[in-house]
Amino acid sequence: MNFALLAPLGLAALVALALPIVIHLVRRIELTTTEFAALRWISERIRPRRRLRFERPWLLLLRLSLLALFALLLARPILNEPSIAKAAWVVVAPGSELGAARAAVSIENADWHWLAPGFPAIESPAPSASVPIASLLREIDADLPSGTTLSVVVPEETAGLDGERPLLSHEVDWHVVSGRMVADAASQSHEPIGLAVRYAPSAEPMLKYLRAAITALDAQGSTRFALDAQPQDSALGGSARELVWLGSELPPAIKSWIEAGGTALVDNQPRATGAPIWRDADGDVLARAQPLGIGRLVTLSAAFSPQTLPALLDADFPQRLFDLLQGPSPAPTRAPASALRPKHGDSTTTSAMRTSAKPLDPWLVLLIASLFLIERVVATRARAST
Amino acid sequence: MSAAALIPADVRARLKNLRLRARHGAGGDGLGQHASRSRGAGLEFAQYRAYEQGDEPRRIDWKLYARSDRYFVRESERDSPLTIWLVIDASASMAQHDAVRPAWRKLDAAKTIAACAIELALRQGDRFGLITLAAGGPNLIAADAGARHRDRCMLELERIACAGAWPAEPTLRPLWERVLPSSLVLILSDFFDDASADLALRFAAARREVLTVQMLSAEERDFPFTGGHRFLDAESGIERRVEAAAVRNDFLDRFAVARAGLTRRFVASGIRHTEYFLDTAPDLPLRHFFGLIGERVRA
Repeated sequence: MNFALLAPLGLAALVALALPIVIHLVRRIELTTTEFAALRWISERIRPRRRLRFERPWLLLLRLSLLALFALLLARPILNEPSIAKAAWVVVAPGSELGAARAAVSIENADWHWLAPGFPAIESPAPSASVPIASLLREIDADLPSGTTLSVVVPEETAGLDGERPLLSHEVDWHVVSGRMVADAASQSHEPIGLAVRYAPSAEPMLKYLRAAITALDAQGSTRFALDAQPQDSALGGSARELVWLGSELPPAIKSWIEAGGTALVDNQPRATGAPIWRDADGDVLARAQPLGIGRLVTLSAAFSPQTLPALLDADFPQRLFDLLQGPSPAPTRAPASALRPKHGDSTTTSAMRTSAKPLDPWLVLLIASLFLIERVVATRARAST
Repeated sequence: MSAAALIPADVRARLKNLRLRARHGAGGDGLGQHASRSRGAGLEFAQYRAYEQGDEPRRIDWKLYARSDRYFVRESERDSPLTIWLVIDASASMAQHDAVRPAWRKLDAAKTIAACAIELALRQGDRFGLITLAAGGPNLIAADAGARHRDRCMLELERIACAGAWPAEPTLRPLWERVLPSSLVLILSDFFDDASADLALRFAAARREVLTVQMLSAEERDFPFTGGHRFLDAESGIERRVEAAAVRNDFLDRFAVARAGLTRRFVASGIRHTEYFLDTAPDLPLRHFFGLIGERVRA
């Protein structure tokens, strides 16, 4: 346990200690004036001594300590208290098999915790699987004192990662056991997405490009589309999640359908606003996206035909179409655990963050307030008695 | 203020035993209570002097007025076998008082002593006069006897306020005309000023019987001060800044030497001298001078 100051310059306020000293000294030098006719027999040689004696020394002491504490408060003291945690920590990522984990880690007296927000003890029920593993690893690395050995048990297939491999200041024992972390429900579904197409009669010849793109996407395998292409007047089915509208202005019914949460691709909208999401090689904007209610409206600046939109014939158009409709795909968060072994190094976490520094401000303020009360009482008492 | 206010009741009670006494036989004859050194028949004419305001009209010599068209007062010694003059120093230093009793200044004590002496003289039928010495010069009430004269003197006593320094020498000359030889002169002063001691010595040298009371405060006797002090002299405006406890012994020594020197000078000139301290009874000096031999108190 050691003591540190975050702002040592605050101690310069100790200069103020001179103030009460001066106040208590000045009063001391005052002379009593007496009329005295026989003063010719008083020797003049002995001048009044300027004694370094203070009036009301206890009050002075109180005031000095009050000011000193205040200066200390300005210097922002902290108490570095190395947490008395056990020397070994084992964190188990949810999804790992506990038995295998116990077998893999052979440290006695270790402290077992789940790798989950709050780091619950291993005896508590297993937390839900979707936890940000990388972020939690950095947090526990910052929280643990530097002497602790850290063992991490992760399943073979790990989720909840982010863009960077964790860079930790602790040496980490990295144990991989069998098991997998459950992925998000949305990305798991293999149900076909309902895609409705409504077209004006003039746009009917262009349908073949759209069908070709959808067929190509289906052939890739990850996502399936249930295509429902009909002329403009027919109503939208209940299963439709996405809509491609070709040829004319949007009727209000379609608009309210989008505002209720649908996604629509509309062509031939050169004056549309919104964030550009597709540009051609020259930098011209081909598509924009804008929110509409809680839905999403994607507008093509040109009509849906190879003459006005040559990119229709490009090889990557199916993927483009998929991106336009689905939005940008999320960053990958899953990886095999063996590739995830954290790097060791003096990371951005400073030593002050690693130790648990306890600020002393509240206690100091309390002490100052009580001292101030006592000082007032003493000062007024002394005044009343004089 | 009446005489009762100037003289506390207990002091007045103690005055009973006292009698004004001159060391030498008083001049004149007959009606007084004192032994006379005169020979032959009494009612001796002494002198004429010019009339002054305050003289009783019946004492004017009307025949002389008829001849000279001026008022003259005929003075003779037969009326007053003993005359006592009360000389009060009213310089600023007489305002000195003790911190424990601020209303009892040296001047107040001197007034009380003078009033007591007047009471004694009145009781014996002696003549008494009052001289106040302040910066402007002496203020003088001619010697006379009687209750009315006592009241006049008391009134004057009440009016006295102390201010300024000891009066200059030329202004004191009228005293020599009024204070006749072989009269008693009681001087109440602190004698811090050399001129005041000189006056007493010159009176004594000129055959006046002089009694001196040095008025002193208890603080001057004990010097009870501690800590840093700024001492002020009201008369000269001088101030001394000293550490009181450190100068105490030195002051007491030097002040005792000065007082002893004064006493020696007075005694050598035949002056009866005593000291009065503000924290003692005001009749002590009179008791010292006029008390019965057996109970004479040393102040």
